[in-house]
Amino acid sequence: MRQALKVEAMVEIVKAGEGEILDVELDVNLQRRNLELAESNRRLLESFGVKAVDFMGSVGSGKTCLIGRLVETLKPEYRIGVIGGDLTTTIDMDFLSCLGVPVVQVNTGRECHLDANLVAKALEKFNLKELDLLFIENVGNIICPADFPLGAHRRVAVVSVVDSPYTIVKHPLTFQTVDVAVLNKLDLAEAVGADVGRLEADIQKINPRLKIVKASCKTGLGIEKLREALNL
Amino acid sequence: MHEFSAATQMVELVLAEAQRRNAKKVLEVKVVVGKLSFLNPEQLRFAYEILSEGTMLESSKLRIEEQDGAIECLKCGYRGGLPTEDNPYYHLGIPFLRCPKCKGEARIIKGRDFTVKSIRIEV
Repeated sequence: MRQALKVEAMVEIVKAGEGEILDVELDVNLQRRNLELAESNRRLLESFGVKAVDFMGSVGSGKTCLIGRLVETLKPEYRIGVIGGDLTTTIDMDFLSCLGVPVVQVNTGRECHLDANLVAKALEKFNLKELDLLFIENVGNIICPADFPLGAHRRVAVVSVVDSPYTIVKHPLTFQTVDVAVLNKLDLAEAVGADVGRLEADIQKINPRLKIVKASCKTGLGIEKLREALNL
Repeated sequence: MHEFSAATQMVELVLAEAQRRNAKKVLEVKVVVGKLSFLNPEQLRFAYEILSEGTMLESSKLRIEEQDGAIECLKCGYRGGLPTEDNPYYHLGIPFLRCPKCKGEARIIKGRDFTVKSIRIEV
């Protein structure tokens, strides 16, 4: 008791004066917190030998169908799991679970992107011993997911050629944070008069390191090429 | 778009630190926002003001320093600013990951962070 009182007295002495102004250096990188969690996700996946791929793209760009096509192609060789990010529904993951792979739905409610913390929680739902490959479908959004790495080994941006012809130049930062860009729904390019060559040129200009895959989930075009681009 | 959650993280961090130091009031918060992140300073400020209401942060000053992006060339090792296309069509220059010196491929080394640098508190 006496000792405690002594400590209290000492604290009293070093306390700042009434009304004093203090500058406190914090230097806390808020982005870093997500990055650390992403790194821990990656370490966890690697400890089980699981490779992960994160797909981002606008609503309706065809992420779910593309993942579905990849699952069909790769299922004979890989044990696959899927995490799906969506604000409110389970529609996409219901569709993918029909392909006979374990799926975990993450409903973000209001949030416009998945973050590493949500993925860490979703990973707890899988038996990672029984997986070789994990696909992560981000919330339909071509902007915010770019700021939140999840720990995946590869990131893919999906753009549909029926979208605006300026989708790529309007979102340069997104295409600078991914490894592969998929130009999807190529079967519709002619019908909507899309200039696919120009979209490719836009990507090459913004990030020359990007691998570009032209795909159509309807015809199966580009699925093998996407597989190669992902080193699978 | 995610400025509100970014501002929430920032306000929570500052409040925790201020409480830990028995502050009466937070007068100023200094943050650095990378220009290659998707955070918009104006929206960040707007969210900050809303979140500050009724807390120690109310009517504090938010100082936002915008940090330029930088790249590193994978071919010649150039480190510095990004080349941009100055097309009047686009309000902001479009940054490219291509070395302005040798045209080699480059990667981003700076400009994606969001950092709370310091706070000024009244104790």
